[in-house]
Amino acid sequence: MTADTDVALRVREALAQYLKRDVATIKPSDSLRDDLGLDSLATIELLYQIEEAFDVEIPDTDLPSLVTVADVTTYLQGRTTQAPQGAAKPNLPSR
Amino acid sequence: MTGLGVTSAIGIGVRQFWEAALAGRSGVSKLSAFESMPMEAYRSQVAGQIHDFAVGQYLVGPLAERVDRFAQFAMVATKEAVADSALQLGREDPYRIGVMVGAGMGGMVIAEPEYHRVYQALRPNRVVPNFIPEVTLNSASGALAIMCGAKGPNLTISTACSSSAHAIGLARDAIRAGRADVVIAAGADASIVPLTFGGFCSLRALSTTFNDSPEKASRPFSRTRDGFVMGEGAGALILESLDHARKRDARIYAEVAAYAATSEAHHMVVPREDGLEIANTMSMALRNARLRPGQVDYINAHATSTPIGDVVEIRAIKHLFQRRANQVAINATKSLMGHTLGAAGALAGIVCALTVDSGLIHPTLNYDDPDPDCALPGISRRAQERSVQVALLNAFGFGSNNATVVFKRCLT
Repeated sequence: MTADTDVALRVREALAQYLKRDVATIKPSDSLRDDLGLDSLATIELLYQIEEAFDVEIPDTDLPSLVTVADVTTYLQGRTTQAPQGAAKPNLPSR
Repeated sequence: MTGLGVTSAIGIGVRQFWEAALAGRSGVSKLSAFESMPMEAYRSQVAGQIHDFAVGQYLVGPLAERVDRFAQFAMVATKEAVADSALQLGREDPYRIGVMVGAGMGGMVIAEPEYHRVYQALRPNRVVPNFIPEVTLNSASGALAIMCGAKGPNLTISTACSSSAHAIGLARDAIRAGRADVVIAAGADASIVPLTFGGFCSLRALSTTFNDSPEKASRPFSRTRDGFVMGEGAGALILESLDHARKRDARIYAEVAAYAATSEAHHMVVPREDGLEIANTMSMALRNARLRPGQVDYINAHATSTPIGDVVEIRAIKHLFQRRANQVAINATKSLMGHTLGAAGALAGIVCALTVDSGLIHPTLNYDDPDPDCALPGISRRAQERSVQVALLNAFGFGSNNATVVFKRCLT
């Protein structure tokens, strides 16, 4: 297994564990929000687990680029080479 | 409303607070170090802290020393509010004086280190005896009652960031229902401590991109806002029935005309994006006050400086107020000192009282790059002056919670 596919599998496994679903039902093209049903708070909880698993810190400004499962994988693979450029903060907890 | 008191990052005492607010002075600074905690690990490193607070400078006696910091803040603010009202509490029927306090977090200053100690030392038989009385949310309302001899209804309202807006509303309701002549309505929070602050960081609710320029971090309605700034403090307001106030020829800042409380029943930490629930809350409050949106001169917005929260509130204002949205004055008190959580409603209520009384509207700090989705002509980074007959206070809390309080100039 290559390092890249290992990351992909670990991301899908983290999602499966968080969603309490079979990992085989989670596809790289799945949207975190629209297909997997993660709202903003659930996304933050998932990313918290991924930060722990991969020993990285994901800045708020990088969150908008993380739309699909594959985006999260690509992001984590990229973090080993260079930090991505951020965009505006998405709809995070607010009251 | 006949008396006001403030403990805040921009001043302890109403006079100092109001001067700083009108001058647009920020109370946000670099987050103070938490003993040996690696501070660089916190995503957000700014806060609206009250530095060098020593309760003994304001209160004497053992009660103040045996309550948590948030309750001390409330006691200091209440002492000032009672003095400001000129009420002679000893001459009042004590059973007709109530206390309503909004508090979001409770006694976190004692709680966190004590949790740490008990788990680290594994000595549960050595928990400090005053832990429970200090940590409980209603320790502040209890302390205020003891301090003031107030034997009427004594309640604590905990709805996160809207707590003390409800305290003001429920204080009014208690007076109108005949359960009290006078109610001390207060709000207090002091939870800028390692675990709680870290919790808000993990929730990604706080500003993170202005760590090197703290005074710019709380920037409601700005295009570059990126989360709220955690603050601390307390506000206290003396509410009494009009008859009671007139009988003793009290100075009346404003009338608490109406109040509405709703739940969006939507999401624990995010408002409905269309703003309709917030618009409905404001509309209910105005109907209760028998006022129309066109009669509102000023809105003290909840405006925490979060990307979604500010735009939803403005969306709600535009929806309800229509063309009037372009005429009403709006400001964000949290731009001055961050978000004081359970104290925010009370401090905003004090701002409403002072604004109705003086016609002066404090600036919204850092509104130098307005977000087109939030921009309205009535928001300004400069102080404004206009006659304010009717003011609205908006407050929204985690748990899908909304409150609006309506204030009116009191025509005596």
